[in-house]
Amino acid sequence: MSIIPSAKSTGALYWPVQARRNIGVRSLFLVVLAFLVAYGVLFPGLFTASGFAKFTQSWFPLALVAMAQAILMLTGGISLAIGATVSLGAVIAATTMAGPLGVAGGTAAVALAGLGIGAATGFIVVKLRLPAIVVTLAGSFIIGGAALLILPRPGGSIPAWLSDLLAGDTPAAFVLLVVIVLLWKLYLATPLGLSLYAAGENPVGAYRSGVPVDAARVAAYAISGLLSTGAGLFVAAQTGSGDPVIGTAFTLNSIAAAVLGGIGFLGGQGTMRGALAGSLLLSLMISVMFFLGFTPVAQYVAQGLIIIGAVAIPQFRKVQP
Amino acid sequence: MTAWNDSAGGRRARAILTSRPFLTLAMVAAVWIVASFVSRGFGAYGHLRYLVELGAVIGLVAAGQTFVVIAGGIDLSVAAIVTVSAISLPLLSWQADPTGLASVLAVLALTTAIGVVNGLGVALLRVHPMIMTLAMATFLQGLLIIIAGGSAVTAENPLVHWLGNARPAGIPAGILLWLAVSVIVLTVMHATPFGARIFAMGANPLAASLSGVPVTSTTLTVYGISGFTAGLAGVLVLGMNGQGYVGIGDPYLLASIAAVVLGGTSILGGLGTYAGTIPGSILLVTITALITVVNASPGWRSILFGSLILGLLLLSGREQARR
Amino acid sequence: MTTRAPLLAARGVSKAFFGNPVLRDVSIALQPGRVHALLGENGAGKSTLINLLSGALRPDSGTIEVDGRAVARMTPALARQAGVAVVQQELSLTASLSIAENIGLGAYPKRFGLVDYRELAARAKAACKLVGLDEPLSTPVGNLALGRRQMVEIAKALYRRPRVLILDEPTSSLSATETKILTDLLERLRGEGVAILYISHRLNEVMALCQHVTVLKDGTCTADRSLEGTDAAGLVRLMVGRDPGDLFPKWQPSLSPAAAISVAKFSAGLMRDVDLDIRTGEVLGIGGLVGQGQEDLLLGLYGAIPARTASATVNGVSGLPGGVPKANALGLAYVPADRKREGLHLIHPIITNMMLPAFARMPALKLRSRKAEGEKGKSLAAQLAIKGDLQRPAQALSGGNQQKVALAKWMPHDPLVLLLNDPTRGVDVETKREIYLMLRAFAAAGKAVVLLSSDTPELVHLCDRVAVVREGRIVRMLERTVLSEEAIVSAAIGAERRKVAA
Repeated sequence: MSIIPSAKSTGALYWPVQARRNIGVRSLFLVVLAFLVAYGVLFPGLFTASGFAKFTQSWFPLALVAMAQAILMLTGGISLAIGATVSLGAVIAATTMAGPLGVAGGTAAVALAGLGIGAATGFIVVKLRLPAIVVTLAGSFIIGGAALLILPRPGGSIPAWLSDLLAGDTPAAFVLLVVIVLLWKLYLATPLGLSLYAAGENPVGAYRSGVPVDAARVAAYAISGLLSTGAGLFVAAQTGSGDPVIGTAFTLNSIAAAVLGGIGFLGGQGTMRGALAGSLLLSLMISVMFFLGFTPVAQYVAQGLIIIGAVAIPQFRKVQP
Repeated sequence: MTAWNDSAGGRRARAILTSRPFLTLAMVAAVWIVASFVSRGFGAYGHLRYLVELGAVIGLVAAGQTFVVIAGGIDLSVAAIVTVSAISLPLLSWQADPTGLASVLAVLALTTAIGVVNGLGVALLRVHPMIMTLAMATFLQGLLIIIAGGSAVTAENPLVHWLGNARPAGIPAGILLWLAVSVIVLTVMHATPFGARIFAMGANPLAASLSGVPVTSTTLTVYGISGFTAGLAGVLVLGMNGQGYVGIGDPYLLASIAAVVLGGTSILGGLGTYAGTIPGSILLVTITALITVVNASPGWRSILFGSLILGLLLLSGREQARR
Repeated sequence: MTTRAPLLAARGVSKAFFGNPVLRDVSIALQPGRVHALLGENGAGKSTLINLLSGALRPDSGTIEVDGRAVARMTPALARQAGVAVVQQELSLTASLSIAENIGLGAYPKRFGLVDYRELAARAKAACKLVGLDEPLSTPVGNLALGRRQMVEIAKALYRRPRVLILDEPTSSLSATETKILTDLLERLRGEGVAILYISHRLNEVMALCQHVTVLKDGTCTADRSLEGTDAAGLVRLMVGRDPGDLFPKWQPSLSPAAAISVAKFSAGLMRDVDLDIRTGEVLGIGGLVGQGQEDLLLGLYGAIPARTASATVNGVSGLPGGVPKANALGLAYVPADRKREGLHLIHPIITNMMLPAFARMPALKLRSRKAEGEKGKSLAAQLAIKGDLQRPAQALSGGNQQKVALAKWMPHDPLVLLLNDPTRGVDVETKREIYLMLRAFAAAGKAVVLLSSDTPELVHLCDRVAVVREGRIVRMLERTVLSEEAIVSAAIGAERRKVAA
């Protein structure tokens, strides 16, 4: 029945478990692969060093926010403040890095802001039992307001060398993404990280089993905030400056990428590798539109249609007998 | 005392006094009284009337939102629909339409149709309401920029102008419109089988469907209503502003959801009433007005707005866990 | 009495929810090396007692004792420390995690702060071996059948090496083989000195496995004694308070030759090409093992899932209804098995639940009359003996009364065909009796009743005919004259065919 060899020696359990998780996203991987191949054929530039760098750079922030949203959705939560948090990360980076704090201090500020915002949101949602949708919607105003306070209009700057490193002709974005994914795997291998699924899918059962459900959920919000401001930092490096509303589109895109990747709204359904694949798919579509000469506005229109289509078509097929 | 408490009338009175709509109303009154003492001119009749008039816009958007939330969904496209209404109305004005009624009806038909499309996505394509309506909002935003560009459009529609500025018997027409809509909404919600179906659908869609509730058509209607009331709000806001521009509807997304939740409607669906959303809307404009009084920068205003809503939610929006 | 201190005990505990007393002055003592049965009807307070023992709830009065010492504030964490493991009816598993990850959940072995998968695999494997789970440990629990999941849940409890093991109806979804494995295992654990509390409705299991019994009835303890010298009928008397014999109404034929529903080559869900006539005035039973497609048969007829058929007549109209509102209009009504998920709106008032089918059929914008609704609700409640304020939310009712509400809501519409999906599951004996009487009365009035049931005695005593379903087909139609539990079971498992062939 199973394709995966059973754990004959009891030692080898981790890898079969990981392999099992691929089963649900296999068809998605095939679709993404097909898209990648088509994209590569249409735009052979992808296979040059700079083409690959450009492509991964356009994907990177979307991948990060998709992960940020997916973590929350796995625990049964959601955030409508991802876009505002990305903006905040961008303006913090653009106002600190060129100043006395330097790149290291600026990065630390961005990270702390993300962790703090996430943990605070998590605390309000989990401990004070307020609905996540409303909290994060109100949060988006607070966070967006903070971004406006820090930088009322586009400006600030990112040291040129950092922009060149992250968004120049280097595979830095790709390497960073690999590192982040590895860190995620590491987190998922801790008891707290692995509790994410149980806390999202069966919180009562998890609590009865001795899982620190609340802690797992608050931690998820904190990590989500960190990933979002991190995406903001990268976006600021890409543009070389900060913009207090640059992240707005990421809210919808993060949800869309996660849902495309098979993450469910009810908690505990889906995998991070799926969400990443979903973000890659979305990123490919946006790139294609860009290359086909769609204006940014037309991209909006097309994106709305594509997202509905992509989410609806698999559902629609299921409904047909 | 005990006799009063035990009598049917006493129980009823107590139920009303401890109900969420009443608590929200009490909160509005408290904020008004405190603000009148702190800020000169706040408590003047003209100012309070102006607040309620502003509240009418939120109240209209939140009317549809209340239906959708009670039915177990959420409509994140209301802000975009308000903008669609405010921008497309001047474009749809005809010479052969001296009262302006025809163009208003055309716009309302358009926004209702947008709502129905949301409903189609949710009911037939089974797209999650959040995705469906967010994607719809994205789609509409792009479309609006293509159609209207960055410039503001002016309405020269007599009916719209009347709605935004007339004061029959000293009461702004917008408030009268809100009053009429409120009566209809409350009647439909609590005194018709259609209203009962919506509550049933929100509490347990599967059980509702097995009890014979036509879930698909009810969903379409509910999102259609949301499109309609958002369109109506767009017409009113255009009349009050005189001009429509891209982004005019943006404040109403959070405001409509916050008004619904502050009024005691469960974001999980199946429980709630528009009677709570009404004071919830007035509470929101009051907050906004207070923030304007403070005369802060846009950043601070946004922070204050979000924080106050969060604070009010903490006071009243706690969800009971459901089994 | 033994002189040893019980590992876990409750002394005179009481508990009330919203002013309704659920347990009154109940004591129970779990001794090492003893399997202790806890019996009682649904709603008797068994689950509450377990929750008190495991620290999930705190008693209003009385104490919980561990090793003879009173614990001031029992919590789930303290209970775990004391070696108490509970296998609840509602599984605590996560479908997307593997068997091993589920077994270790909340108590993972750690190495450098990470889950030690090697150690986890070894210990989970040992626990699985005890319960006879041989699936790969990496299998996601979501891929397992319900019975296997139950075994994972038990393995999860064993993984914690409990001193006290509490099992709440562990065998309800187990096959005979799995039940045998479990009972052997419990015997062995008993030999190792584990204290076991065993809750089951299957009296023969209790008689075979347990040494001591506590019986709860309406929140009070009616028996706390050794099982020696007790028989099953005696236990039932203790649980119900009267003799078990008169549960079923006297059967009287009211069958007429007229067909209410007749379908040919009907397919829906798991059901394939079924021919079926449902006659007016009969109670037609649907039997078979769980999950053979019986439910799809009802749902397909009701129009709740897509169905195909060569020809169909429903109450004189040809063609299937194809949708629930249409089916209602044709006089069909469906009462689902899962009251909480499919039958009721738990957060809504009882009266609103009762009126919902009416709301679904009335013109959408016709004004409601609260007064007329109130009167209708009152008369329905009186008819079905549903007590109390009808404005309370439905979740305040006991399981039996909830089922009555789920039935009551169809009564005003005078349905011609009543499709019932396991209407007595988790319902107390008294309500069962009332429901049986109602169904027979319904048939006597010339209506048709289709009764899908997992309770075989119910099918035998109540039905005019029983259709036994296996693998999506009706394999046998048993007439009243040949109806017996043996006949139904052997048709359900396909034993008779082999007998014929032999």
